[in-house]
Order: sequence, then structure tokens, then C-alpha cells
Amino acid sequence: MTQLGNTRIAFIEALTDIAERDPHAVLVCADSVLVVKGKSFARKYPDRFVDVGIAEQNAVACAAGMATCGLVPFVATYAGFITMRACEQVRTFVAYPGLNVKLVGANGGISAGEREGVTHQFFEDLGIVRTIPGITVVVPADESQVRQATRAIHETDGPAYMRIGSGRDPVVDCDDVPFELGKVRVLAAYGDDVVLFTNGFVVNHTLQAARVLKQEGIRATVVDVHTLKPLDKGSIVPLLGKSRAGVTVEDHNIVGGLGSAIAELSAEECPSYVVRIGLRDIYPRSGEPEALLEYYHMGVADIVDAAKSVMQKRDRVSGRS
Amino acid sequence: MTDTIRELQEIARLIRIDVVTMIHKAGDGHPGAALSATDLIAALYFHVMKVDPAHPQWRDRDRFILSKGHACPALYAALARKGYFPHDDLVGLRSLGSHLQGHPDMNKTPGIDSTSGSLGNGISVGLGMVLAGRITGCDYFSYVVTGDGEIEEGVVWEAAMAAKKYQAGRLVVIVDNNGIQSSGPVEEVGGLNPILPKWEAFGWHCQEIDGHDFNQILHAIGNAKANVEQPSLILAHTIKGQGVPFMVGDNSWHKRVPTRQEYEEAMRALGGACL
Repeated sequence: MTQLGNTRIAFIEALTDIAERDPHAVLVCADSVLVVKGKSFARKYPDRFVDVGIAEQNAVACAAGMATCGLVPFVATYAGFITMRACEQVRTFVAYPGLNVKLVGANGGISAGEREGVTHQFFEDLGIVRTIPGITVVVPADESQVRQATRAIHETDGPAYMRIGSGRDPVVDCDDVPFELGKVRVLAAYGDDVVLFTNGFVVNHTLQAARVLKQEGIRATVVDVHTLKPLDKGSIVPLLGKSRAGVTVEDHNIVGGLGSAIAELSAEECPSYVVRIGLRDIYPRSGEPEALLEYYHMGVADIVDAAKSVMQKRDRVSGRS
Repeated sequence: MTDTIRELQEIARLIRIDVVTMIHKAGDGHPGAALSATDLIAALYFHVMKVDPAHPQWRDRDRFILSKGHACPALYAALARKGYFPHDDLVGLRSLGSHLQGHPDMNKTPGIDSTSGSLGNGISVGLGMVLAGRITGCDYFSYVVTGDGEIEEGVVWEAAMAAKKYQAGRLVVIVDNNGIQSSGPVEEVGGLNPILPKWEAFGWHCQEIDGHDFNQILHAIGNAKANVEQPSLILAHTIKGQGVPFMVGDNSWHKRVPTRQEYEEAMRALGGACL
């Protein structure tokens, strides 16, 4: 049974610790204080808590104004309302001037959608922010990683976007490899038959798939690409190069996110077959997280099948050449 | 007429000369909107605002946001005349290599407090600055000049609501109410009027002035500063193309470049020399 953590609480606890040391750290909400478990922060730092109401564009632009005056605002609400409704404020008023605003998006992915349906399942956020120049994009895997990522984006000057989940977020089932912004984490290294790139709340599924593959004699390496931008090209290219093929596993549309990032890098630096596991460019439904992932072909069996098929494809082509 | 008013009128005349010259030389720009906002910008930079051109990032300075960023030639001219950068830089407007972008860029041009140009966002940014001042213990004011057409944007009203909630008395917004937006009169395009009752309903301290009368501009800003409990809105009636007779009443000058002949005619009207 997968242990569940709470990335929302992890974020707010990390921010509260930061605020103790940094008098410039501010929490900006858009009627999202309950969503991001921010009541404790608001009670402890009432002067550094701003809630503009259900008005995300104002929240982001207001945070930009604060940042021009030396503050470090963390704007926290649902991922899609930051990256879609306030997309232009993120791009023009935060990222373009390079302001020190941190954007924290809840319900990242379909499995973190709290069964609310498409309006609260955000599977385009990473693709959107990844196309905006000058913004760091982080997809932590669990509550421990969220704590470390929150500290890391605070310590790194400039705009950042970080995903958090529903509050019922799987704890990654392996040794806690430390988080370093901009560097991939190798979570399992059974061998170089296939490399599985993953991030976010499907890391456990990827690790489980690697174990299943191992039992079947296929040796995989599991790589957590938590920093989607800037991409750790220096680590990813050699990993892809020494494996026979790659699979990307993400809780996001297969367009624009991790799969796209790895495929782009592969095409330019290290041509390999890469199969993308993720939402197949469709709208999902409400449902229990695990059932949703299986229904939309993002479960453990799908990852195993993808690894096998991409290896077969590579072998067929190699055999012909 | 006081010396202050005469001085401001003269500065505004020089800024208008710069505006038309810059747009003529650049071959691109929005003269009508820059000329309607010129007197407001002149009053702010040359009488009202606490700024230090030698230290553009001075922590305690008053902030200015030209939310209608397309009027930036007037702002650039004011900043140059204030001493933020050489006056000769102005002719580089919109050209590759110049620090004077088509719309204001806070990282490229000394003295620009906020990037702008995407309409509707300046009030939010200004509010953020005021809230930041409370946290950092600074008592500066944030002044925002917005177009009238741009307050059709929804985010403007998000900011209006939040500024009231936070009693952002140090936020002063001046609407450059020239009555015309890109595709026509604001009332026809967006159904905007009446403007003032909307802001009153949102709980702002509201005033209505002639935006080309420096006495009224300074008086209204003084009233706004004195009211520290409420954000302030000054509805400034202005004329698009003010100062250049052939531009007044012709909205093709929203975005249009004067020919050499038109440029010379404008300089005659403004008492300026052609470059």
C-alpha cells in the first residue's frame, strides 16, 4: 500500500520556515489559503499574507509589483489558474523582467485533481510555463521533495514555478535521494536496457515498473527529472546514450512536458527511440487517482509495456541496419 | 499663473516636441496617446514625485507605472529631460540596440519602475508596490497612469477591489480619459461610460479634472495624497494628440508616423526645431 503524504502542507511548512529567516518572504493567495493550507502562515505572519480574492491575474501582477520592491512573493493557488488564467501576467510581468516571484500550483496532473474533473485537473501547466523564457520549472515527486524544492527555489534568485498536489500525494518508495535544483536524481539503476525518465506523482509507478521489468530480465534505470527547466542536459544525454531506448512517464499531457523535453533533447543530441507515457492529448474524467492513471494508460503495466515495445522497436531497426 | 505652472507647461511643450520627433525618426509609435498623457507625466516627474535620477533604484522613491505603455515616448522624453539618461538616446526609440523599447522595459531603461504595455496590469503592479512598502517600512506613493480604453480589462477591476480591501491610500491612479481607443470611441467599443461611478462604487476616492490644466492636476494629486485611507482615482479629461492640431480629432494618429511635411507642421505648432 502506497503511503500518502501532503505536498500542500509540506510547501506551507517550508515557506513558514523560510519566512522566519527571510523577512521579505510573502504568501499571496487568490482565495486559495485553505487550498494551500496557508492559515497557519497567515496567523503567524499576518503582515506578509496577501489574499486578493478570486483574482489570479491580479495576484500575479501584484506579486510582480512586490518583487520590484525586493520582496519574495510566493503566489499559491491551483496550477491551472496560475498558468492559464494568469498566463500573460506570469510571462510579461514576472518572467520577462526576471522578477523574484515564486508560483506554486496545486493539483498538478490528473491524479491530483481531487476527483473534481477537468476544471481542476491540470495537465497543461508544465507545457505552458516551459515555453516561457527565464522561468525555472520544478516538479517535485513527494512531500519531502516539495520541502527541498521550496527551499531551493527561494534560494535561487528569479522566477520559478513549482507543482504541488492534492494533499494526498504518494510518498516515493525508495531512499530519499537529495534534491538539487537543476540536477536529475537517479532513483534506481538496475541496468542500461532502458532508461525511464519521470517526475511528479507517478515516480512510484515508474519505480514499480522498473522492478517488474527487472523480474522479467530487463534492466532499467529510473531518473527523476524534477527540474524540467533548465533541463539537466549534461546528465540526461549520457543516460539516454548508454541505454537502448527511453520512456518518459509523467502526469501531464504528453505534449509539452517531460516527454517533449526529453524527445527534443534526444532528437538534437542523442537520437533514440523515446515513448511518452502521459495523458494522450485528451480531456480526462473524474475518478480515483489510481483508477484514472490506469484508465488513461499511465499505470505500471503501461510503463512496462512501453519499455518493452520501445526496446523491440529499437531492436527491429538495429537488426535491419 | 505661478512660475511652477509656467515651468510645467514649458517642460510639457518640450516633451511633446520630443515625442513627435522620436516617432517620426523611429518610423513607428503611438503619438496620439503619448500627447494626451504628456501633461500628467510632466506634472508627476517635474513636481510631484520624490525621485533621484542619479539613483534610479533608490528604495524610498515614489514609483510610476505607465500602464498604457504605448504612450512611452512621453515617459522616455520626461526621463531624459529629468536626467536618467542622455537626451540623445531618444532618437533610438524602437531600434535594435537602443535601450528604448517599443513598450517600457524596467531592465533596459533607467528610471522605468515597471515593465508595461500589456494593457490593464499597471494598477495591480502599483498595488503590489504599495503593499510592499508597508512590509518594508517605506512610505512612497505609487502613481499609475492608465488609459481609459484599457480599464475595459477585467484585471483592472480585480485590482480596484483589492486596493479597496487593503485601503491602499498610497496608490494614485490617473485615467488618461482621452475618450478614444484603438478602434474608436471608448463608449462605442467597450461601453465604458460612465467611468467615475464605477470607481466610486468600488470604494475609491474619486476626482475629475481637466488633464491638461496643471493647476487642476496638482491640486487633485495633493488631495489624493492627503487621503491615506482610500486608493485614489483621478479621471483626467484629455485630448488625444493634444498640442498638435492636425492630430486632434483624427484617431488615425493612435498609431501613425508623421511624414516629413507633417513633422515640420507639428514642430511649427509646438515651437520646436526639426531634427
